[in-house]
Amino acid sequence: MNRIANFLTGRLLSARWSSALAVLLLAGVAEAQGKRWGPMPPASDYGYRFSELFWLITTLCTISFAIVVILIAIPMLRDRDRKGHKAKYDHGSALHDKRLTAVISVITFVVLDAWVLVIAMRDLREAYWNVPEVDEPGVYQVEVLAQQWAWNFRAAGEDGEFGTADDILETNHLTVPEGRSVSFQLTSKDVIHSLFLPEMRMKRDVNPGAINEAWFKPIQSGEFTILCAELCGYAHYQMHGHVTVLPEAEFDAWEAGASQLAAAGYDPEDEEAHWAWDWEQ
Amino acid sequence: MSRSLTQLACLAVVAVGTLSSFKALSLFSSSAPQEDDAQGAEHAAPAADERPHMRAPRGVSLTVSEGTWLRAPGEEWIEQQAEVEAGRWSYSEDALDGEPGWIDSTGFVQLRYDAEEDIYAYWQWVGPEQLTRGRRDFVQFCSSCHGLEGDGYGRSGQWLRPSPRDFRQQNFKFTKVLANLPTDAALKKLIHRGLDGTPMLPWALSDEQLTDIVQYFKSLSPAGVAWRNPFLSIGDAVVAPPDPWGGREGYAVERGKKVYHGNAQCMLCHPGYVHPSELPALIGDPEGTRYRENLYLPVLKESEYTVLGEKVKILPPDFTFHTLRAGSTTQDLFETIAAGIKGTAMPAWKGALSDEDLWALAYYVESLITAYKDDPAARQGLMESLRADQ
Repeated sequence: MNRIANFLTGRLLSARWSSALAVLLLAGVAEAQGKRWGPMPPASDYGYRFSELFWLITTLCTISFAIVVILIAIPMLRDRDRKGHKAKYDHGSALHDKRLTAVISVITFVVLDAWVLVIAMRDLREAYWNVPEVDEPGVYQVEVLAQQWAWNFRAAGEDGEFGTADDILETNHLTVPEGRSVSFQLTSKDVIHSLFLPEMRMKRDVNPGAINEAWFKPIQSGEFTILCAELCGYAHYQMHGHVTVLPEAEFDAWEAGASQLAAAGYDPEDEEAHWAWDWEQ
Repeated sequence: MSRSLTQLACLAVVAVGTLSSFKALSLFSSSAPQEDDAQGAEHAAPAADERPHMRAPRGVSLTVSEGTWLRAPGEEWIEQQAEVEAGRWSYSEDALDGEPGWIDSTGFVQLRYDAEEDIYAYWQWVGPEQLTRGRRDFVQFCSSCHGLEGDGYGRSGQWLRPSPRDFRQQNFKFTKVLANLPTDAALKKLIHRGLDGTPMLPWALSDEQLTDIVQYFKSLSPAGVAWRNPFLSIGDAVVAPPDPWGGREGYAVERGKKVYHGNAQCMLCHPGYVHPSELPALIGDPEGTRYRENLYLPVLKESEYTVLGEKVKILPPDFTFHTLRAGSTTQDLFETIAAGIKGTAMPAWKGALSDEDLWALAYYVESLITAYKDDPAARQGLMESLRADQ
């Protein structure tokens, strides 16, 4: 009885246990509010690759953690201090110890690192770096001009050409069609930024003086997050916005209206405001 | 022998490397001249002078060594202050050479006489410590767009429309004041709130920091301009009176629709949201009246604000599409319409329209925003019906 009371007051209320309890409580609260526990579901067509890799790594790490814990627990229990038992000290320098270490290392490398590496490389090749060709039909092209501390987006508008009167300009907000590849060319006015669309599983650095490429294909309409993932100055934390993914028909209506208004607001004499560039591979 | 040869070779490589990097540095410095460095400017690439955004002056000073006198708001404002701080303010029939006025016991605000212009006006003293604090915060938070000297030519401000303010042009669009210039409180409110849909973020700075920054950029006014102009009035932001339409929002929207297309003539610059054939009946024009072409589109308007010597043109918002800069609640809309947008074609409507009509306009504009702004399909339907036979 006394031991149980000691356990309750000593162990249960200790920092470690209460933090574990807090995590459980938080998980319960998140569950009750209908929020997902874990990464948000992917909203782009290659997003599932990132989720699968994430869960693969998590599972492999969990299994290896469990194995390591068991391997520590066995000698701790078997060789614990007790009557009639004398500990034997050993540097593990015998040949069979070295052999065992080598085998475990090779297995760990093949199962964990090589497996993850192969999948990661395959995903990078097949999805992330598989940027659509410049002249590929049906691709929605967006020029991104980052600055301290905002995202400037320029789409070609209805005529499909950059640097014309009907280019659609948006700040901290981007509207794209569902089910069409969206291809970015990105550069920065000042410092390094990083365009991060977490639900789309897309992140790409934006460097001044260079044009980087990235792409994704939204498979779900709705409102998603834009973040800056590279510390870019004091208001980095405020450099966020939204991507609105519209179903194709709604998007066409939006694009027509946006293009028309952009043309109405175009001032050919104000050359300093015309920052579009030509798309090259 | 071979070892010392290798060492010699290494030394030579290092020496050549160092020399060439010095050369690179001197090249860099000549391509980025300081503003007042006439010699540097001679060697500069010609493009650098034409593009003030790309200036990269070195040794930027973060201290302001001298305080300055800036315009203070007039008697009305002081009367309000006197109610809060009774001990500080006193009214005297002879505040300055027989001129009646308020006396500030701290000496920071003074009635001063401008002999050249022959005018009395209240001025306030801003000390070098405060200006230095303001300068430091300004350089950290504001200068990337507004420029190190507050001239609107920061590197991140290039190609940007609407362009970042040049604080020497006495042009503040959204401070919502009827006077020529806004009070500190109105400016601080604007900085704290930010401007929607632009890189002007809502700045979560402390009240002290905001006060210092505001004093600093006010001090950038050239002689005789803005906060150094004794003739300009300084006023508070418009405050919306109680809403007379509570519970009758439907009527307010109908009334606003009439005011919008009728006596306020908003559709001269903003789009008209009623088909031209139905307009005469709505606003009481004679049958068959002709309105401007493409009534469903806004009209690009010139503003007084200049960038690189050219007046910037501004597209009045289409309420069914654009994000409004200074808020889109009914109250925000009332304030923006009432105070107008300084330096643009949008006049102050306070006084020209009754408060009731202003509220009605705000309700109407808000109804357009809620019905169409985030619904492209509904907006397209509206636009098609407006464009028909136009």
